[in-house]
Amino acid sequence: MFELLAWVEGTALASFLRGAGVWTYGLINLAHILGIGSLFGAILILDLRLLGVWRTIPLAVIARPTVPLAAGGFLLAVSSGVLMISFNATEYYGNPFLYIKLPAIVFGLLNVIAVQQLPAWRAALAGFETDPVDRRLLAVAGGVSLTIWLTVITCGRMIGYW
Amino acid sequence: MQYRIATLMALALGLLLSFPAAAHHGWSAQDEEIEVSGVVETGVSLSGPHGTMQVRDGDGQLWDITLAPAPRTHRAGLREGTVPVGDEVTVHGQRSADADRHEIKVRRVTWNGQHFDVYPPRRS
Repeated sequence: MFELLAWVEGTALASFLRGAGVWTYGLINLAHILGIGSLFGAILILDLRLLGVWRTIPLAVIARPTVPLAAGGFLLAVSSGVLMISFNATEYYGNPFLYIKLPAIVFGLLNVIAVQQLPAWRAALAGFETDPVDRRLLAVAGGVSLTIWLTVITCGRMIGYW
Repeated sequence: MQYRIATLMALALGLLLSFPAAAHHGWSAQDEEIEVSGVVETGVSLSGPHGTMQVRDGDGQLWDITLAPAPRTHRAGLREGTVPVGDEVTVHGQRSADADRHEIKVRRVTWNGQHFDVYPPRRS
């Protein structure tokens, strides 16, 4: 892990960013917050719907804006996050919150992949009525997703306080 | 259902607001300010979340100095290269609560008769 952090810190990009003015870190931090806002806002709506809130709105209708927003927000958050770490990556060596956050992100992505394989999800997106078993399955997926992303955000926020 | 969510959100907001202003980085520091004089070993860096520098005191101990966030430190007049490496400086601030760490969150840096107040003086 230390080698990886040292490598990130040693890249030409990191070195460029460190010399790019006193506001650079704050601006990248801003991009990170915009990414998180889009990602988590979209996920919150989608997952609450999966958990049974706003049941009168078809899942397909809710998924249309939230899924691409979450994906775009994720890409923005990841790219800005990597840049933020690169400024002084080795200082985060041994930071427990980082060590929980990174695998949690992987679990979050695995959950996305798993949900997209579910016949229940595909049927709901295609506009078919879901039966109670499907609904329960999707609710579990929504609950898992919310738990994972709340973990990621909590750990991310706490990294700087460690 | 909509009202229940609104109520929950209002409760959550109230909970958040009721926390004291401990919102910024939880730098757990010793309460009283200390003063350390020494030689600049690593000059001021204004990249990353906070400005930093390193000072070695007369006993040979190396101190990690954390300054204000970069724009604020810059505004206080303390810029990269302002204080040459090898020069004598005095820093005032709060030492990390962790006694094993020689780390100070600094309020004032004094060099060559000049004071750089990266944070305002404490009201006491």
